[in-house]
Parts: sequence; C-alpha cells; structure tokens
Amino acid sequence: MTPAASSGSVAVRGLTVEFPAAKKGRVTALAPIDVALEQGSFTAIVGPSGCGKTTLLNVVGGFVSPTTGTVLLDGQPIVGPTPEVGIVFQQYALFPWFSAMGNVEFALKRFGLPREERRREAFAFLDEVGLAGRGESFPHQLSGGMKQRVALARTFAGKPRVLLMDEPFGALDAQTRLAMHELLLRVWEHRRTTVLFITHDVDEALILADRVHVMSSAPGRIIDTIQVDRARPRSVDKLDEQFLRARARIIGLLRKQETEEPPSAPASTPGRRFDDVQ
Amino acid sequence: MSAPSSPAAHLAKTALSLLGVLLVWWGVSALGVVNPELFPSPYAVLVAGAELYQEGLLYSDLKVSLGRAAVGFAIGASLGVVTGLLTSRTRVFNWALNPLLTLLRPIPAIALVPVAIVWFGIGEGSKYFVISYTVFLAVWLNTHHGMEHVPQTYTRASRSLGATRLREFVEVVIPASAPHIVAGLRIGAALAFLSLVAAELTGAAAGIGYRLQEARQFIRTDRMFVGLVQLGVLGALLDYFFVVVSRKLIHWEQA
Repeated sequence: MTPAASSGSVAVRGLTVEFPAAKKGRVTALAPIDVALEQGSFTAIVGPSGCGKTTLLNVVGGFVSPTTGTVLLDGQPIVGPTPEVGIVFQQYALFPWFSAMGNVEFALKRFGLPREERRREAFAFLDEVGLAGRGESFPHQLSGGMKQRVALARTFAGKPRVLLMDEPFGALDAQTRLAMHELLLRVWEHRRTTVLFITHDVDEALILADRVHVMSSAPGRIIDTIQVDRARPRSVDKLDEQFLRARARIIGLLRKQETEEPPSAPASTPGRRFDDVQ
Repeated sequence: MSAPSSPAAHLAKTALSLLGVLLVWWGVSALGVVNPELFPSPYAVLVAGAELYQEGLLYSDLKVSLGRAAVGFAIGASLGVVTGLLTSRTRVFNWALNPLLTLLRPIPAIALVPVAIVWFGIGEGSKYFVISYTVFLAVWLNTHHGMEHVPQTYTRASRSLGATRLREFVEVVIPASAPHIVAGLRIGAALAFLSLVAAELTGAAAGIGYRLQEARQFIRTDRMFVGLVQLGVLGALLDYFFVVVSRKLIHWEQA
C-alpha cells in the first residue's frame, strides 16, 4: 500500500550553512555536519537552544539551501520543499480556514483522487489519530493536542518518505505530550516512515528514538551519538540503567555546551535567531 | 460586534442609546436657547423628511447617491484587489508602484473634485472617478499588506504538502489574506460615502450631497439634517452589513 516504505534514507554530508549577518558579514549556523538517516529509522537531535538544529531541519525540508555539502534523499539531492519530506511544525501550521477534514484533504489532493475517495481516505487518517468524530471541527475549536494530531494525520496523509518534526510537542502540557508520544509511535510503527525528530527534551529523545545525536552550541556540530536499543514502548517510570546513563551523559554534554560558550560570543544571540526565525 | 451579549439585548441597548440622543436633542431645542433656524428640533427634521418624501426627492436622491457609490465602489474595489495582488506577488509591480502609493495616499478625495470635473465634466463620470479612486487606494493598500504578510509557516506547510503554486495561491494565500482584504473593502465602502458627498457638493443635479448644498442656499437646516441623518444611517447599515458578511466569510478569525 505504501511504496514509500521501501525508501526514505537521507544522507547529509559535510553540510554547512551560513547566513548573512548585520554586522559581521556572515554567521555560521551549522559547522560541517554528517548525518545518515536509514530508511525506517527514528533519529532524534538534541542540542542547546540556538545550536542550529532547526536550520538542519530546514535544509532537509528544502527551505534553506546548504552553503556547502549535500543533502540526499534516496540518492537525489533535495533542492526545495517536496511532499516526499513531510514536516510537523511546533505551532501546528494548520490552515484555520479549513476544517480538520479539509486540512487532511489538502495533503491528499496531490494524488488526484476522486473527491469521494479523498474524503474517505482523509477520514481514515483522522480515525488513525483518534479524531474520527472531529472532522468538521475547525482548528480554533480544537485543543493543542488535538491540533497536533490533525497535523500528524495531515502529514502522514501526504505519504512522505521522511518525516521531520521540529519540537512538535513542545507547546503541549506533560500529560498530553505523553499521549502524543504513544500515538506517534503507534502510527510510526505501522508506517515506518523515516523520522528526524528535533527536541531539547532529553527524555523525549530517549523514549522515542533509535538514535540520538547531540549537537554543540552554535555553530552546530554533532558531538555525540547514542544508540538506544531498548524495546518500545519505553516509559520514564520504568527506567533502566542504560537509560539513566545515556540521560546523564547527554545532560552533561548539554550543560557543558551552555557554560563553555566561545568567547567571541554574541554567538548565542544570532544563534537563537536561527531557531526562532529560520 | 462583540459576542457575549445576545442580539436582542444588543438591539435593545442600541435603541435605548439612540432614544437618549434623541431626547437630549429634543430637550436642547425645546429649551429655546438655540435658534431653531440654525438647529432644528427632531420634529422639524421629521417634517422636512416627510416633505422631501412627498416631493419624491428623498427616494430619488437616495437612488442616485447609492447608484454612484455602488458603481464607484465596484470599480475601485476590483481594481484595488487586482493591483494589490500584483504588487504583493510580483516584484516588478511592487518596485514600480509602491512609491506612487505612498505619494497618493495623503491626497484627500475632495482635492480631486476640481480635477475630476475638468477631466470628466459635471456628469456621472467625475463622481465615479472620485469615488472609485478613494476606494481603490484603500483596497489596494489592504490587499497588498494582507498578501505580503501571509505567515511563512502556511506557505511552507503548503509546499511541503505538495501544493502547486496555483493551489497554494487559491487555497492558502487568498484565505490567509482574506481578513485584510475584507477590512480594506469595509474601509473602502465607508470612504465611498465620504467621497460621494465631496463629489456631489459641487456640480451635481441630484443626490444626497447635492440636496445638502441646495438646502444651504435656502438656509434650510432642517433639510440639511435630513441629509445628514440619511448619511449616518446608510453608513451604519453598510458597516453592519460588512460585519455580518465577514463573520460568515472569515469565520475562523472570530475565535
């Protein structure tokens, strides 16, 4: 049913990104980065705020061009936004003028299905995220968690080969976030789309991902990679020693990043800008 | 406009407020401290209105004025939307036309009346010109602003969901800027009435503005007040119409 299941590997090689800056000419947001996302894998990236993780995601999403290096999706360079790379934004980015159903249908329109079939399929995607009954609701009538579920349904409906998630649950309360983790893993295990998940929440990264990359402060580099082999579902209330060790290690690294700011550093200010604006 | 009070309560409050104004007006004129020739009582205005109605002028003036406002609005609004679309979506038009917009904005409609009369004579042409011009500027400005400021997350979401440029325009850019466009149309409609009167005050043979001017020559303040009340009521109704329409059209903005 999903031909995308057999593909979706991403290779980021020697990627750097520079932005023009007001005073200094150019600011380096990403130092050379190499990341490989195997098809069907779930990779998380944690890093201090302003380290360029969102810039990395924007490059893979096709919104920002690399200054040097390449980003390949199944061997083909990514040159712009493409439905093969789906994105879930922190602020949902649902279209407020469309109902939940309309938002999911928006993603399905690229397949050129007859209307009837498109509606049926949109309904199935909403059902999968537990919102079968809310299809006619508009985004402003839904809670934050529900909005993000519609956004998930919409993104999966576009049948991307790769799914990028930029702190998607950062705006939700703890309880809702746990429910969203379960939901995301359930849908993901069913579809096995390659996921790149950006967060600053270490626990979230360790609960969701197969592999966690730790980024340095700006200009971002990958300074550590942790393989998480624990079987899912994982939960924070059944902590094992491997989890705790990994957690301590990452938190230690992040803390070091925040104190060891380079002395040339108004870098934290423009760095933050990349995360917020780009 | 605000949601909490029920429509009936809102209506009652409005009626009460207007009744209060009427009472104060009545009181002031009944006290006899002001010359009734200069400041007519509500009753005198009512009589003048009835008189104009019997002469058939109330209706015919209304028809003429509304017709001018409608034609001027239609021309100005459609040109404004198209121009706003061009200047916001294409770099060349933005570059070529935006400085002009900045220069034209401060020119009041009434300053155009002499020019319009020389260009188009004292017929309908000059009225259409003045009205459509003011409407055009307001609608252009708001359309341009709305389309230029479509949030980036919407366009990014749309592109990463595989929408073509055309679909993005129809299903994302237009609805995202609709609140601004509707606001522009609403301002434009109000301006249509302002410039209508400006255009009718000179060189017209009918219309509410003309009737005001005619009443001045005979020092008929009661007739002038009829015209003023007409303009006020028309403007308020028009604005209410826009509130109702935008509530339906851009329902998601109300939350």
